[in-house]
Amino acid sequence: MTAPDRICVGAIVGSFGVRGEVRLKSFCADPEAIADYAPLYTEEGRGFDIRLTRAVKGGFAAELTGVSSKEAADALRGVKLYADRARLPSLPDDEFYHTDLINLLVVDTGGAEIGRVRAVHNHGASDLLEIHGPGLKEPLLLPFTRAAVPTVDIAAGRIVADPPEGLID
Amino acid sequence: MSRSVWKGPFVDAYVLKKAEKSRESGRSEVIKIWSRRSTILPQFVGLTFGVYNGHKHIPVNVSEDMIGQKFGEYAPTRTYYGHAADKKAKRK
Repeated sequence: MTAPDRICVGAIVGSFGVRGEVRLKSFCADPEAIADYAPLYTEEGRGFDIRLTRAVKGGFAAELTGVSSKEAADALRGVKLYADRARLPSLPDDEFYHTDLINLLVVDTGGAEIGRVRAVHNHGASDLLEIHGPGLKEPLLLPFTRAAVPTVDIAAGRIVADPPEGLID
Repeated sequence: MSRSVWKGPFVDAYVLKKAEKSRESGRSEVIKIWSRRSTILPQFVGLTFGVYNGHKHIPVNVSEDMIGQKFGEYAPTRTYYGHAADKKAKRK
């Protein structure tokens, strides 16, 4: 089981060539940034340093430490790669990593539980928190604005929400 | 071919009415609309619309840089869950 202080940043989708390179898919906002978060770990805890050699269709070709043959690269197909959360750079106020927001408890201004953040979306307008809760008929999409989300307390694992009228049926 | 300028931007009349009513009331509310084809006008800036995507209403906070686009562009009809990885969200 992956430790919660590690986040999934990519996956190995196969081998590339015959010299032990792997074909890597990056999940990062800037795909090339995956190399900055090295060492990367598998779910079992095996660590790799990584060097991106070139861009290929659907990702990158990369060299991993300890992987020097095509057979070894083939054996890693489907493996997800995790980076230490501490490797992510700190952010200015009012900016948060999705990974920090997901699973936070959402309460209303009166302290009553609404649910938990399941995902963060951005469809071009503003960020939206997708909240699932026992009292909600369907997932609630809450605009991530100061008006609708006055407090984000990552340390306490809690978000205070003040949903605009008409958002919760 | 683009729309003729002399016609002006297309907006469903009920959207204009609802937006005007909401602006007059001054309350923070989501204006539910089904008109994905309506153009975003300057008087909509600052309002929050719930744009129907065929399943539910997606909240869309209108900002200045959205003027001239259509509401439907901000309410996708398909859902994609990617990996969180190092993606960031900014509270506006």
